[in-house]
Amino acid sequence: MIRLGLRLTLSGGREAAVRLMLIAAAVALGAGLLLVTLAGVNGVNAQNGRYAWLQSAGTSQSSTAIWWNLTKDDFDGQTIGRLDLAPASADPVLPPGITHLPAPGEYYASPALAALLRTTPADQLADRFPGHLAGTIGNAALPAPNTLLVLVGRTVAQVSHEPGAVKVSSIDTTTPSSCPSAAACYLRIGINANGMDLIFSVVGLALLFPVLIFIATATRLSAARREQRYAAMRLIGATSRQVSVVAAIEASVAAITGTVAAFGLFFVLRPPLATIPWTGAPFFTSDLSLSPADIALVALGVPIASAIAALLALRRVRISPLGVTRKVTPKPPRAVRMIPLLLGVVELGLVPHLVFLRGDTGRQIDVFVPGFVLVMAGLMIAGPWLTLVGSQLMARRTSRPAALIAARRLADNPKAGFRSISGLILALFVTSVAVCAITTINVHRTVASSTLAAVTVTGEYGVQPPVSADLVADVTAVPGVTGVAVARFDQAQHKLIRIGEFQSPVSLMSCAQLDRTPALGRCLAGAQVAYIPQGGLAFGLRHAQWQTTWQAAPFSAAALAKFPSDGLFVATDGTAAAIERVQTVLDRAYPDAGGWPTIAAYETSGTLPAEWQQLANVVILASIPIAGCTLAASVAGGLTDRKRAFSLLRLTGAPLRMLQGVVALEGAVPLILVAALSIAAGFGATDLFLHAQMDYGLSSPGLGYVAIVLAALVLALAIIAATFPLLARITGPETARNELEVARLRNRQIRTAC
Amino acid sequence: MTVQIEARSITKSFGHTPALRGATISAGRGEILAIMGPSGSGKSTLLHCLAGILTPDGSEVWFAGHRLDSQNEAARSTVRRDTFGFVFQFGQLVPELTAQENVALPLLLSGIRRKQALQEAQQWFPRLELEGLENRRSGELSGGQAQRVALARGMVNRPEVLFADEPTGSLDSVSGEHVMNLLTAAAREHGTTVILVTHEARIAAYADREVIVRDGLVSSLTGAEAA
Repeated sequence: MIRLGLRLTLSGGREAAVRLMLIAAAVALGAGLLLVTLAGVNGVNAQNGRYAWLQSAGTSQSSTAIWWNLTKDDFDGQTIGRLDLAPASADPVLPPGITHLPAPGEYYASPALAALLRTTPADQLADRFPGHLAGTIGNAALPAPNTLLVLVGRTVAQVSHEPGAVKVSSIDTTTPSSCPSAAACYLRIGINANGMDLIFSVVGLALLFPVLIFIATATRLSAARREQRYAAMRLIGATSRQVSVVAAIEASVAAITGTVAAFGLFFVLRPPLATIPWTGAPFFTSDLSLSPADIALVALGVPIASAIAALLALRRVRISPLGVTRKVTPKPPRAVRMIPLLLGVVELGLVPHLVFLRGDTGRQIDVFVPGFVLVMAGLMIAGPWLTLVGSQLMARRTSRPAALIAARRLADNPKAGFRSISGLILALFVTSVAVCAITTINVHRTVASSTLAAVTVTGEYGVQPPVSADLVADVTAVPGVTGVAVARFDQAQHKLIRIGEFQSPVSLMSCAQLDRTPALGRCLAGAQVAYIPQGGLAFGLRHAQWQTTWQAAPFSAAALAKFPSDGLFVATDGTAAAIERVQTVLDRAYPDAGGWPTIAAYETSGTLPAEWQQLANVVILASIPIAGCTLAASVAGGLTDRKRAFSLLRLTGAPLRMLQGVVALEGAVPLILVAALSIAAGFGATDLFLHAQMDYGLSSPGLGYVAIVLAALVLALAIIAATFPLLARITGPETARNELEVARLRNRQIRTAC
Repeated sequence: MTVQIEARSITKSFGHTPALRGATISAGRGEILAIMGPSGSGKSTLLHCLAGILTPDGSEVWFAGHRLDSQNEAARSTVRRDTFGFVFQFGQLVPELTAQENVALPLLLSGIRRKQALQEAQQWFPRLELEGLENRRSGELSGGQAQRVALARGMVNRPEVLFADEPTGSLDSVSGEHVMNLLTAAAREHGTTVILVTHEARIAAYADREVIVRDGLVSSLTGAEAA
């Protein structure tokens, strides 16, 4: 029987070959997406693992010790990691990616930073690093190909006096996601365990679910045509069991072919896929690897699942020994299918109020992920019932034959009708949640833009040595600098300044300087010195929308100069060159300071990290096309299955437009109905999450969201419309004649057998 | 008898295989014409050319004084929808629709309101002995019942010509004769021309006239053949 099944599958004529290729291609696409998802997860893990060495912490004296000071710098919005190194022993440990320590006066740069150094004027970047570029850092030390990292060779005397410098005697290999405690990974580099859980949860819910639906849809392509063949086999005496074996073999052959192609596709497309910044940074190609378990899961799981799906599908068709197939009309879905969705909403609405979760990401995941899973599963379970209700309403009211046929077909098998758009429904839910959550969080955390395009600032209280007159002169001389203001500190003053709901200690600032740095605010008329919030941007200026006219301080400009400085604020013309030049001057004055934030950086410092937004973008951009593939496979499969009914309708004079209307409505009705519910569920679930965790009300998701939703709906309709040429071709008069002939021949066979 | 539909020496080939080689045939208004012939003789191709489903490679098809074969597919579809009726061997019912909706479908396609279309469809159920089956789907009907529903659908818009391609081919002899009795009675009642393709002599016997197609040519049935 197995041999017969193979022969029927592989030598069953042109139609069987086309069917096999079609299913194999669809499975290849689905299994390929599955491989990419699994490799992406592995890639995130591998990338995260390469942050481990940067966490290396101080140790006691050792024969392998090295002085080590890791700081952070910024260039054009990108973070540069800077590690100052000096040997503290005869045989110091080496960071990964290099074979020798850079000598004092040398530095090694990552390839991305080296490229930046080559293309950027030295006074904007290279001058920040003492010495000259002497080598390139290898990939083993770099989380991503675009990592900007510099290892600076210094003397022991230089590094040991830098604040934050430590002696390291072994390179840490603990990945950020497996840190035993927050204290052990105090630098908070990379993605911690909670972050990884969140990524895996999002990927699992938003990508794997739609991919699996797509694979399941693909394996059901041309199911009705296959059933006709099985009917013919029953006619000549095959038992149900034998037919099942053939069905399983046919499904497995297509799935195996597709899976093999998927592996090929994956390895061919791996290099371009690696350039996609899934979590904000691209991968090295080797990061997108598959574990033996992943390979086994896909290589065995997809064909086995396909065979099982084929056998289950066969149970829904009764084939009599006379070869007559009759669909078993499934029981109509009932309203109880709404219960899981409602339970999900209740879970999200109630549980967070019963358990205090704020700030505990691990418990948040434990509570919210099941809630979101329940809502997503609830949408999938409720979808067929909603489809049934919508189609019954349409069938009762319509006078149009297209709407009547579409409605009756949907009502006849609402599960099948919903299945075709289920991927899009999930994609819309995921998009609604992601966009609403990110937009709302950013709206609440973003400070209104200041009046000056860009200001470079130093001045965390008490950290820096005093601002010298020479430094002020150097900064003032930088092209593009429009004003420099020095904050000063009155040790005898214990005044507090109210800014919104907060109170802050104060610094003093000259009104003449404040005039030249308007982004910092302004003085009252006639004042010579003003109180500004201590820490400047770090505290007060983030809330500049609350107060920009500062209270006058009872000092003259001359008296102000006697107070020690505690901050330097620089206004520029907003150009990147001016900002980076100022950064470079400040870096050289304070080599261990670790970056000089701009107002723009502060304004976005409270918003969601870019990598989370990027993850959301990837999920949205991936899930909608996957859903589109599911819809395309489903519509095309439905057309080929109804070839005879449609072609005979056309033959009797039904216009092609009417049949197109049937196909369009079969997709559009459940899509619009359940999409509305999906979007509402997305908004509702996000609102519950934001209220419970952050006391934020839902903000408008904005035009971008509307554009995404419209794009998804247009994509769906375009996919349906793209099947119209196939519809025209398979329902043409020639096809109808062939269908009649095939039916006639089969009928004769049956009569002969009788 | 006025000629209602006519094919004049039509030819039709599929690839290099000729199906019709100058077939000439005509049917008068209200006439029931049976086309017989062995398998592969070209009788279905002839029916499809007459119905405007296929366009002949050569010569002409005329219907009610107008040339049919020179019209484009859209125009021929309109003629098929509004003026012709069809009954095939099986498979012509839309499985998701009820029997009554299937019968009403040609009326809905012609733009008639749903309520009226269903009312008109309903009238055919007692006439074709289908009472009580209005809300059944095609899968819930026997072969004979499904063919009678198909016949009702073919006749519901009062076609001028009914094309029946092996209408009893999937039925046992009793059911087949039942369907033929109803078909011929309905056609005669409405003055509908019937073009009936069959390979069964006892079915052809219901016709007013029989022709035979052999090797793509039409000839009148001889007495011996008729016997």
